[in-house]
Amino acid sequence: MYEIIGIWCVVLLTLSIFSYLYGDNPFYKSAEHVFVGVSAGYIFTITFWDTIWPNLFGRLLPSYVKAGFEFDVSYIFPLVLGVFMLFRLSKKYDWLSRISIAYIVGMMAGLKFYVFLNSNLLTQIKSSTVNFSGTYLSIINEVIILIGVISGLVYFFFSKGHTGVVGKVSRIGVYFLMIKFGASFGFAVMGRISLLIGRFEELIEFSKPEYYYSTPVILVLMIVGLSFWSFKNNTNINKNN
Amino acid sequence: MELIKKIFIQLGQLDRRFIFLLIGLSVLIPLLKPDWINIPIKTTTNSKIVFEELNNLKEGDKVLVSFEYGASTKPEIHPMSVAVLQHLFSNGVKVYTVPLWPEGLMMAKYAIEEVVSSDLFNIEEHVDYVSLPYKAGGEIIIRGIATDMRSIFTQDVNNVLLTEIPMMTGINNITDFDFVFDLSAGVPGNAEWVQFACDEYKIPLSSGCTSIMVTDAIPYVESGQIRGILAGMPGAAEYEQMVFEYLNNDTYNKYLNKEAVIVPGKATSRMSAQSIAHLLMVIFIVFGNISYYLIRKRKI
Repeated sequence: MYEIIGIWCVVLLTLSIFSYLYGDNPFYKSAEHVFVGVSAGYIFTITFWDTIWPNLFGRLLPSYVKAGFEFDVSYIFPLVLGVFMLFRLSKKYDWLSRISIAYIVGMMAGLKFYVFLNSNLLTQIKSSTVNFSGTYLSIINEVIILIGVISGLVYFFFSKGHTGVVGKVSRIGVYFLMIKFGASFGFAVMGRISLLIGRFEELIEFSKPEYYYSTPVILVLMIVGLSFWSFKNNTNINKNN
Repeated sequence: MELIKKIFIQLGQLDRRFIFLLIGLSVLIPLLKPDWINIPIKTTTNSKIVFEELNNLKEGDKVLVSFEYGASTKPEIHPMSVAVLQHLFSNGVKVYTVPLWPEGLMMAKYAIEEVVSSDLFNIEEHVDYVSLPYKAGGEIIIRGIATDMRSIFTQDVNNVLLTEIPMMTGINNITDFDFVFDLSAGVPGNAEWVQFACDEYKIPLSSGCTSIMVTDAIPYVESGQIRGILAGMPGAAEYEQMVFEYLNNDTYNKYLNKEAVIVPGKATSRMSAQSIAHLLMVIFIVFGNISYYLIRKRKI
């Protein structure tokens, strides 16, 4: 029974979001608000019970939480920093939250600096070089990549005007960037269509008698509801005029 | 000629809701009538590399499978999760799932449940697989797994202490795994696995990701930092097909239940709808450009 209720909710919310194609309407707005509320609640609950409770309180109150950690007094600091973050809600003490933010920014900057330098800069430079011992096709491929890398970098070099040789090389860089944007757009379309297929597949599945024809029933009710809402809206507009 | 020009110009001014309807129908019809359109799936090099990498793993090897997707990207990633898990279990590989997204916890659970309920393999929790719980922190958790996993995880998803799970003996950091497979739909995702763990500790990594992430991940694939990539739904369909053929042909596989029915995955059946919708999009783009050109020319 609970599964059927869940399925009817799935169909109702999916069709409510699809109804935005007709225009902004109460079905869409309700589904949007439900999504925001449920997501926030889910993330808060799961973060508290799976991370804060075992990993923080599990070390401060190990005999009570029983998460498998031993007592560690140093975890007072993350607790204090976490409490400071909540002071963002207070106008008087919101400066305390900046201490926590400063810690996060400093720590992440340091960590990211090293990993980015190692994985994105050094390794990528290494892989942009041409291996002349490879096959003709692989050499051609690697030369194209090298031209793309150099011309792309020249395009983003603003200390010299894009005229003469620099202008021509940066123009080549623009073409490489355009190809990248085109590929990204193609992949983005592919992703969105995949998601549409996923939703349609479920809607088709839930049209079956074992789910009490949830898709057609909700679709018809929604069309009736939207028509009524649209009619009422038009009447109100006419009255105001 | 004037008539054709007029038609193109009018096509350019078509109500966008009509385009939505056509896209909807192009997806709906192949899903309702799969027999009408049957477009063959060709395996790409990157999908083959992923398959070969996982196929080269030996019995008892340990693979960390990271779940970084949710309900919104489930149609793209979930079929590849199931196919990858089937492939790993068919080779007697030990699987450790870790969700780095809040919804990843549910996705990992669903993927494991789907493989268990298929009855293809006699797999048991804590013997063949362990499900780790979600921990907030993204790349910090990846870093933690790389350096000292036990400082973050002490229990599995069912609150069983890791010290009581035999499969977890000797698993302390990323170097204790033989392979990492990442299923990602955003951040943290495959880039973070490359940067914060696999590159530094030289652990092989493959990834399956959403289509939109592919162009950003390709530089890592070209440099060998990621070994092959399953690109969105087509990647999932290709992998499903390879695993389906592998399971059907591997008659002497001791991990495979001979009585169980091997069925092709979900992504394969979705590819016709995807191809038709893409074709329609290409037609729209071509017509839209011709129409734009003609309207601009007329204004001049």
